[in-house]
Amino acid sequence: MSSDNSPTSSHLLEARGILKDYDTFRAVHAVYFDIPHNCFVTILGPSGCGKTTILRMIGGFESITAGSIHLEGVPIMDVMPYDRPINTVFQNYALFPHLRVEDNVAFGLKMRRMKKTEIRSRVNDALESVRMASLARRYPSQLSGGQQQRVALARAFVNEPKLLLLDEPLGALDLKMRRHMQVELKDLQKRLALSFLYVTHDQEEAFALSDIIIVMNSGRIEQIGTPVNIYHAPENTYVADFIGGANLLEGRLTEFDSSARRGHLETEIGTVEAACSGSVKPDEPASLCFRAEEIGVDTGIGGDISFKALVSHIIFQGSSKLVEVHTGKHKLIAKLDHDVPVTVGEPIKLAVAKAKLRIVHGSPVVAKEIH
Amino acid sequence: MKLTGIEAKRRRTALVLTAPNVLFVLAFCVLPLGVLFSYSFFQVDFVSILREPTFDNYNRIIHSETYRGLILKALIYGLGVAVLCGVIAYPLALFIAKRVNIYKSALLTLLLIPLYTGDLIRIFAWRVVLGAEGVLNSLLMWLGLIDEPIWFLLFSPFATTVVLTYNYLPFMLFPLWAAIEALDDSYMEAAMDLGSRDLGVFFRIILPLSGPGLVAGFLMVFVLVVGDYLTPQLMGGSSGVTVTSAIHDMFGAAFDWPTGSALAWLLLSSMALFVACVVYGFYRSPWGRGIRKQDK
Repeated sequence: MSSDNSPTSSHLLEARGILKDYDTFRAVHAVYFDIPHNCFVTILGPSGCGKTTILRMIGGFESITAGSIHLEGVPIMDVMPYDRPINTVFQNYALFPHLRVEDNVAFGLKMRRMKKTEIRSRVNDALESVRMASLARRYPSQLSGGQQQRVALARAFVNEPKLLLLDEPLGALDLKMRRHMQVELKDLQKRLALSFLYVTHDQEEAFALSDIIIVMNSGRIEQIGTPVNIYHAPENTYVADFIGGANLLEGRLTEFDSSARRGHLETEIGTVEAACSGSVKPDEPASLCFRAEEIGVDTGIGGDISFKALVSHIIFQGSSKLVEVHTGKHKLIAKLDHDVPVTVGEPIKLAVAKAKLRIVHGSPVVAKEIH
Repeated sequence: MKLTGIEAKRRRTALVLTAPNVLFVLAFCVLPLGVLFSYSFFQVDFVSILREPTFDNYNRIIHSETYRGLILKALIYGLGVAVLCGVIAYPLALFIAKRVNIYKSALLTLLLIPLYTGDLIRIFAWRVVLGAEGVLNSLLMWLGLIDEPIWFLLFSPFATTVVLTYNYLPFMLFPLWAAIEALDDSYMEAAMDLGSRDLGVFFRIILPLSGPGLVAGFLMVFVLVVGDYLTPQLMGGSSGVTVTSAIHDMFGAAFDWPTGSALAWLLLSSMALFVACVVYGFYRSPWGRGIRKQDK
């Protein structure tokens, strides 16, 4: 998964089959993933999917029921949080309310019995790099959300951990502040040349920040890949739908070439031949996947697959519009230019380039029908 | 200006709601204390009270080693028992607040039950435990650890301290528990994440952040212990004389209200001063930062 072709043992962190049970409930099902050096990895998933549990297991706040976690080849399952060279930025920041900003940041260094002068210069550098040095004498309650966020970051990375864990750190900020902090976070990660493991349910945030995204759903990993990979080559209907809400048409796999990973899928809009994702298997459900922006009005040019549909809704979006159409039992969303004439209740002829089609594993997610 | 109308209405409501309380405190707390204060300057002549102001009562008490000793003893007992209660209550409060989930309210109720039974019953129960032929001595003798009963278990400062600590533990436990319960677990996790071990987490995070609860518990236990004269009398034996019982005697058998009033006022002011010193000391200490922070 790393950009260079280094052997697996050179990964910073290796999670092998980690599993978490709470009484009878399995929060995390044996998951496997690696975190390379100097890499921004994001675990993306809806709330309750087990992403925070994974983070807490790596931080040492939850025991693991089974499996192993190795940091630079050393098993850390039995290492207490205070002995792990890992620091966490908590969801609610957890800044100590009785300590000034500078003492919050100095906390970890004091615990390591570092010299006072050294602590002072390190704290100052850390606060400088998050542009909070001028507020070092303040108490957390005197800071805005974004400022607290920066202090929490400084308090974590000042210890020079090998891995920084971030649990939805931008969740409490307003949209503008979030965008701003995203840029700062990414910038900081590059400057520190440190690996970040970031947890979020916000796919845009994951795309903006990550080198690698781990998509999770109900305690399982659905796909691991780069943002481009996740968006354009989803493994299954869950990822396709969760990431940007792709159009999915259920079909029947009539022909399947497992070595070339191509197949024929019989769907409502005809039988199409397309590339298959790695998890597609014969005799298991498969769906045709394409993005709203990949649909256009049928112009009769070859290489496209065209179909008729009935327009049911139009959502204005400025330069473009989202058009909801029905093809038999399925609902599709097409993103069309604002000047394309469309009328609700009228039939329309649409087309998708064959190259954009992809066959993924699974049936369309039912939940999509609700919203 | 419609807003001023609302403001005025609010102020009126506030006045109506607070006035009864203020009046109550004035009538039943401040006024009697004031009467007591004025009595402390009077003199007693056989069976009548001479209403001629003088400092004689205060002078006599301050220069009497017995009274000074009694006041000091009361303060030391108050402080000692409060510290003991704090030491015992902290782990318990921490345990109930952060480790118990399902049985939390049951456990808290259980800890309150001794308070339902009344002072006398609890004191006599302890007599049964600590007496020469009591439960503890019998057990130790049966085990062969001692040959004859340990006499100082009952009717001694030891017995008084044990029972006082037992009696007033809930008054320390509950404010502490409430303070720790309100502490977000993520503070403790963050401290551990930053390299702090268990004791460090306690002294650097839990103790400062539960400071207000500790101060509240300390004040309650201190005041209650200083005011308790039943327990020392029934458990302390010859050591059972307290300044409170002395005051009680002055107003009763001795019929010396002025001296009693002066002693009561001296006790009250030395308590206030003492408490102020202890709380201020905690406030200035590294552990007092949790309270200090609030006033920015």
